[in-house]
Amino acid sequence: MLGSKGGVWGLAVSGLVLMAAANADGAFAKEKVKIAFVGPLTGSNSQHGIGGRNSAELAVKLKNADPATKYEYELVALDDECKPNVAVQVVTKIASDNSIVVAVPHYCSAAAIATVDIFHRFKLPMVIWAAVLPQITYAKKVPEIHRVSGTLIGQNRVGAQFMKERGYKTFVSFADSTDYGKSMNEYFTKFTNENKNEILGAFAVPPDQQDVSAELTRIKELNPQVIYFGGLTPLGTRVRTQMEKLGITAQLEGNSGIMGDAFISAVGPELAEGTLTFFDSPPLSKMPGGKFFSDNYTKAGYTQSPEAYGPFAFAATNLVMEEIERVGPNRAKITEALGKVKDRPSIIGPITFDDYGQNITPLTTKYVVQDGKWTIWEESEYATGKRKLKNLP
Amino acid sequence: MTVTSMKGTAGQIVSSILVTALLVGSLVAVLEIEDQRALGICVAIIAGLSFLAPKLGILRGAEQAGAHHPWAVRLIILIGFCSLVLILKDNNFALLMIATILIYATVCLGITIQTGYAGLFNFAGAAFLGTGGYTAAMLANATWLPDIVTILLGGVIAAALGTVLILPVLRTRGHYAALTTLAFGVLFNGFLEANEMLGGPQGLKVPGIQIFGWDFSNDLVIGSLSFSFYANYVLLIGAIFALFMIFTRFIERSWIGIWLDAVRLDEIAVSVFGLRISVWKSFAFTAGNFLAGVMGAVYAKMTEFIAPANFTFGDSLLLVAIVLLGGIGNRWGVLVATMIVILLPEKLQFIQEYRLLLFACIIILLLMVRPAGLLARRVRVFEERH
Repeated sequence: MLGSKGGVWGLAVSGLVLMAAANADGAFAKEKVKIAFVGPLTGSNSQHGIGGRNSAELAVKLKNADPATKYEYELVALDDECKPNVAVQVVTKIASDNSIVVAVPHYCSAAAIATVDIFHRFKLPMVIWAAVLPQITYAKKVPEIHRVSGTLIGQNRVGAQFMKERGYKTFVSFADSTDYGKSMNEYFTKFTNENKNEILGAFAVPPDQQDVSAELTRIKELNPQVIYFGGLTPLGTRVRTQMEKLGITAQLEGNSGIMGDAFISAVGPELAEGTLTFFDSPPLSKMPGGKFFSDNYTKAGYTQSPEAYGPFAFAATNLVMEEIERVGPNRAKITEALGKVKDRPSIIGPITFDDYGQNITPLTTKYVVQDGKWTIWEESEYATGKRKLKNLP
Repeated sequence: MTVTSMKGTAGQIVSSILVTALLVGSLVAVLEIEDQRALGICVAIIAGLSFLAPKLGILRGAEQAGAHHPWAVRLIILIGFCSLVLILKDNNFALLMIATILIYATVCLGITIQTGYAGLFNFAGAAFLGTGGYTAAMLANATWLPDIVTILLGGVIAAALGTVLILPVLRTRGHYAALTTLAFGVLFNGFLEANEMLGGPQGLKVPGIQIFGWDFSNDLVIGSLSFSFYANYVLLIGAIFALFMIFTRFIERSWIGIWLDAVRLDEIAVSVFGLRISVWKSFAFTAGNFLAGVMGAVYAKMTEFIAPANFTFGDSLLLVAIVLLGGIGNRWGVLVATMIVILLPEKLQFIQEYRLLLFACIIILLLMVRPAGLLARRVRVFEERH
């Protein structure tokens, strides 16, 4: 009885050992280099995280398919849940793993701001793919920190100017109460005031507040022409659907936080129709290599959309691999090389890092939802006058 | 000697050495092995050994050793702990995980006093953990205050905040008392998010620990050995954990523990015998919150960042889940369960977006196999003393 049991166990163990051995026999022709990706893979922002992860993974796959590369790349993807304590944990993990030479981290600004010091302490270079809070790069000069996504200053400048040109006069600001939302509100206020337009009221709610009807009821009383929204997709979705419930007809002006297919599929194409957004990249089809990205993304069989920041993750991953090819898989050398990146072509436009590691050449573009798709403003039926934005004076 | 000793002193000591070695060995193996297949094999072996240990009487032996030779067992555990730190000495991440496990285990010791002994369900554990953390963050500017005092104040403030809840908890019973704490936890989170002074939803930076010129954010150097800076935290947190473990044991084995058990089991009978239920419930509740507050302060100082997202209802639930998984009222069960609950989602990172799903399934399976928890608390045995 015992003997047969032992025999089964023995077989099982030897089987496992054999499997392990079989895995180890593939001799690698190229040196293996590991890159870490960090983003929200679970939780309410997971669509963006998974889109970014897929795009980064695609960049690695395409690079590995190229026989001319010196190294074979491996992407280690980790989940930060958009929570600062989890972000600290996973970044400590990758930073203290010496086989990882560079990281492409963070969708949420709250997670990114918590880990800046860890990247610096462990001297791990990184290129942020999505978080847009200005302080992440601009609070102090940290050589390891870089960011391909624009800060939220540019999009607000372009947005305020655009709204003025349309003739809108009265606004209400609705932002989440994180530093991200606060910054959005700050720059929205700054540029709107510069344009001599009036802000009737500003509202801030925590990003996970489910019911915003109290704030919206007040906004309905104020009766602005435009509601400016500074927050991420989950809250944006609630604001848009609850606006409808309360019969608020104001024009919705969004920002990069709601850019992406997730917003449209959450509120439905009818409610999304006419929503404006200002985002730091032209549509892929306009960019050199953009079609190459979207074709390969579909070909790779990913079922989820890359979302707005997928191309940024792709560009960031490509950028770090280009630098590794040039200077070798060494953290200090990569940090130095990234600091010198200037006018590097990518699918999100040329990348140039300033002294703070911030990409200063984002191509801020105006978008409007038309028939369930984010359409570039100049090409939309809204620009030709066939369709009209709400509350146009 | 008592008649209950099963295998004699030597057998008991050997058993406790084996159990300690198993714990330390599992931690080292799980934290050091990165290759998934090797890790899988390793976890299977650990599970097998953990399954075998009680069958061979090793667990019982270790338990007996703890009862009869407490100082010998403490020495063994100390040696095990030191060798753990020594093996992982420059592995930053592994030491961070060990520190996190010990923090959560200590907080769950507090909940064990509340739930396991006095029968009070606390669904606001994360709120008290957060209170300690925010206390540390708020006292960051008071540099004249030694960090030891800051940490203790974290506990004191958490305990003080808990007194707000004492009245409603005493006036309600069972599920209703649990609901009261749950509501408090949710309120606490809302308060943090709305409070600009406490950093709002974005959170705050917290400076690391400095005790008498010993800067915890520098690498620890002992003689010619250099340890990761997290080793500082592991040593401090390990010491606090040990202290509270002994404190909890003292409560359990003294008349206080007997009274708390009685309060949990039959309130009416106990009050007939003249015990003041309200006093003992308040005591257990406050003691548990103090533990959570102290560790909250240390946790915030270790991660150097604090935000409301760390202290949601989900986190409170996780603390209760650890106590349930470990076996309600068993101190050592708490440690084992914390190891599983903290390390498992981390080790499942490789399956990315599916990791929390699989984690939940594994916990459900574990509880189906062992419905009373991994190490169920034994019925109190009253021994004759000689």
